[in-house]
Amino acid sequence: MTELIYYVLLSVVLVAIGIYGLVVKRNAVRMLFALEIIANAANLNLIAFSRNLSNAQGQVFALFSIAIAAAEVAVGLGIIIIAYRLYKEIDVEEFKSMRG
Amino acid sequence: MADLISTPLIVTLILGVVGLAIPIIDAFKKERGSNNRLYSGIAFGALIITIGFVIFRVLSGEVMPAVLFSKGVLTDDLFGSFFAIALLIVSIMVTASSWNYMKGRINPAAYYSLILLSSIGMVLIAYSTDLVMLLVAWELMSIPTYALAAFSKRDPISNEAAIKYFMFGALSSAILVFAIGLVYGITGTTNIGSSIQAMASLQKGLVPVGLLAIGLFIAGFGFKMGLVPFHMWLPDAYEGAPTTIGALLAAGTKKAGFAAALRVIVLGMFALNVDWTVTLAIVAVFTMTLGNLGALIQKSVPRILAYSSIAQAGYILIGIALAPYSNQALTGSLFHILNHAVMKSAGFIAAAAVAATLASYSLEKYRGLGRRMPITAIAFSISLLALAGVPPLNGFWSKLVLFGAAINSGSVVAWGPYLAIAGVLNSALSLGYYAWIIRKMYMEEGPDMSKVKEPRAMVAVLVFAMVFMVGFGVWHAPILQFASKAVPHLSNIVPTGSNHLSNIVPSSKTLHDF
Repeated sequence: MTELIYYVLLSVVLVAIGIYGLVVKRNAVRMLFALEIIANAANLNLIAFSRNLSNAQGQVFALFSIAIAAAEVAVGLGIIIIAYRLYKEIDVEEFKSMRG
Repeated sequence: MADLISTPLIVTLILGVVGLAIPIIDAFKKERGSNNRLYSGIAFGALIITIGFVIFRVLSGEVMPAVLFSKGVLTDDLFGSFFAIALLIVSIMVTASSWNYMKGRINPAAYYSLILLSSIGMVLIAYSTDLVMLLVAWELMSIPTYALAAFSKRDPISNEAAIKYFMFGALSSAILVFAIGLVYGITGTTNIGSSIQAMASLQKGLVPVGLLAIGLFIAGFGFKMGLVPFHMWLPDAYEGAPTTIGALLAAGTKKAGFAAALRVIVLGMFALNVDWTVTLAIVAVFTMTLGNLGALIQKSVPRILAYSSIAQAGYILIGIALAPYSNQALTGSLFHILNHAVMKSAGFIAAAAVAATLASYSLEKYRGLGRRMPITAIAFSISLLALAGVPPLNGFWSKLVLFGAAINSGSVVAWGPYLAIAGVLNSALSLGYYAWIIRKMYMEEGPDMSKVKEPRAMVAVLVFAMVFMVGFGVWHAPILQFASKAVPHLSNIVPTGSNHLSNIVPSSKTLHDF
């Protein structure tokens, strides 16, 4: 139990870093990295709990979540590549044609 | 024992096989990109067979009543079937209208395949009883829609919409994984039924973690549902995405978010014995008010519809907020979810029909539409009136049930009737912009009043929607009955104060283990 708290704290710190990156950075690829950090913080949490409970369900879940995140990132990168072709730029400040 | 003939399994099989077969057929075809009609027909047929199967299972009484929590990952219950029917209707309307919308656009095979895969995800969300399954289904629903939102590759608006939608969607699923991690950490299981049971007898020190998990669930699902603090991406995404996909997002994925929320949040709150209903009620009032106020100042029709769908999420949330106090409230929510699925997709498809023929989304182009595109205009008017809740239409009855439940709950919670008042005032407010569009279509004359040919498949879909809205407005009993059978019966669980959960929630016997 004493070890668990370090893992949970680390994961909370990672979430904070991820949210910071998502809010402050304006480069689409950096934002994608921030999203990945948040997703992996959640996975770390799952694995730490799974280890602590000595129950494999959490690790199985983490595997599922990693596979899904990979698919998600592939789609996201695809969208960003199209954006680069259209704008020659991946700065999300540029993507402001819709307002209101 | 594994039961192979269970609704979710068959739905996955049919739609999955057809969804994966369409790109393969496309790969073997000589002339590529020109087979829109063929793929549209195949996808439409698959969806019709699927919905027919779901309805057949319900009518034959082989589906278990209300919400069941099984030991497996999927259950075959009426709650799931209700959502499956609502969501498949949306997919069918979108597929059929894409017959016209996708004409001359590239990659029709991938488009229909993605719609089918996303439909599987939506349906499985409603049936899932395990958080692992819920997350997988959630992503199966979301990932194809990111690609669909970006489908017009040359269109910067579509791409911008897709980037916003993707960033918020990915954030919401990361938050969900985090929430599920916390639930797993404090209960040691990912099965929804067992974790709710474990939550009900949680150690005192762990209750804040449970609350945090529920809060994160609300945030994660709230992004998809378009609840107010999490709604900022929604108008951009719905406006920028291809308009038929706007219908899929607004009517389909949003409703699937509600299915997930009903499965997880409502029961979780019972287990934790916290009075979160006030919070949800406040969110509901803010959601509908901001949605309606936002819609008032818009110039683009899909954007008005997007804001109006935020407002409608607020009405549906009334029922969820009042769930502990009356069964009628949840019935109203489910009823409104089904109605809203049809009304909103009819609205978006009418906008898509206008966009396909007049190449514009601007409200100014709708002047004189009553004479230029008579069927589209009348269907659009009816769907707008139904959204506003004008009496003989189906939207009126679901709002009546919802607001009636809010007033009835006044004997238990003092703020219940205020929700009804807020809802009625908002409906009046929303009539402001709905009537404005109708006025533009019928009362004003545009520069060009020549009649244009209406896209045939879209007209067929709109006629179906009109029949649905008027028909179930006049004869609303069957859907209301179905909705009231499908709700999780919460009032059996004693409201806040004591733990009487164990005799209700997971008591039902195991249904399917596959």
